[in-house]
Amino acid sequence: MTTPRWNDLPDRVRNAEETLRLMVTAPAPQGLAERVQARLDAAPRRPFWMSWNGPGLNGWMFNPVLRGCAAAAIVMVVAGGGWSIYARVQPPSSANNMPVPARIGPNGGFSNAGAMRTPSTLNGPVLAHPAIPAQENVVAPMASPKPGALTTRSKPATHKKQAAANPVR
Amino acid sequence: MSASLTLPWMEIAPSAVHHDTRQHAKDDALAALVEQYASTLYRVAFSVLRNAADAEDAVQEAFLRVLRHRDSLDEVRDQRVWLVRIVWNIVLDRKRRAKTRPETDDVSELARVLPATGLTAEDRAAAVQHHAHVLSLIDTLPAKEREVLVLSAFEELSSVEIASILGITESSVRSRLFRARNLMAELLERPRSAR
Repeated sequence: MTTPRWNDLPDRVRNAEETLRLMVTAPAPQGLAERVQARLDAAPRRPFWMSWNGPGLNGWMFNPVLRGCAAAAIVMVVAGGGWSIYARVQPPSSANNMPVPARIGPNGGFSNAGAMRTPSTLNGPVLAHPAIPAQENVVAPMASPKPGALTTRSKPATHKKQAAANPVR
Repeated sequence: MSASLTLPWMEIAPSAVHHDTRQHAKDDALAALVEQYASTLYRVAFSVLRNAADAEDAVQEAFLRVLRHRDSLDEVRDQRVWLVRIVWNIVLDRKRRAKTRPETDDVSELARVLPATGLTAEDRAAAVQHHAHVLSLIDTLPAKEREVLVLSAFEELSSVEIASILGITESSVRSRLFRARNLMAELLERPRSAR
């Protein structure tokens, strides 16, 4: 694709481009440069917040005041963050009662988790040999169970029911 | 006997002096740019806006933008093309916004552009009508072709510079110019009643 040469164009197109050429060669009004210069002189050179200390040579980072402000802001952020963490971790000093941790029993560090121990004392210990009544206040040994009771003793479920029905006195 | 007392805050820092010198040099450079290119930018603006006051306003806005970026003036490789590009973007933006308003054919502006000598009043009026007609046809071209056609009318702008102003390749400039001229030929060959 080639651009049509000037001589190849129809006269009308050349005339049209002459019109454009006439437009682009329009003379500038008198005193244009002076008016532009005057407006540039009147225009503010810097934003207000930067003009109070003079402009930075190579950007705001090289302005000593702004650098100081930036450094102070960084220090404030770091110190504030550290203080907030410290204040959150430390207990309040005004508390009178300190929470006491649960005492650990002598048997160890494990609790019974609320379980109640049921001693198997309802039937009493079975003595292998008859005890000798040495003193009066000794409780007489329990009568030997009936022959039918042996059957009930062999059933642990019945034993538990009896324990529930006859609480420990 | 007089004792000279000089406090540290009374002294002017050398960096401040250097800074003022640099700012003064930048002001001088900007003033030189205004002196050198204000008329070129005006013609670019006028070719699009076709109104003297609007064109001058666009030139002033362009130099205000330059003022904001005067610290980076040294980095600009071709200041003329850079300035033309700035004012070109400004006038296109204004033209786009002005499309909402009804367009007026400012014949008096065209009459001011025409050469004053060698034309009778009748010839002058006919010429103004002819140029207004041609300009109205140019306005009907697609934007891409119209922009290349307008910028190609500036003899001081090469196709490479036009490509740089428009942000396209040089081959695109040539192809768009080709299409623009063909379209203009078609438009001019049609009778007025057919349009």
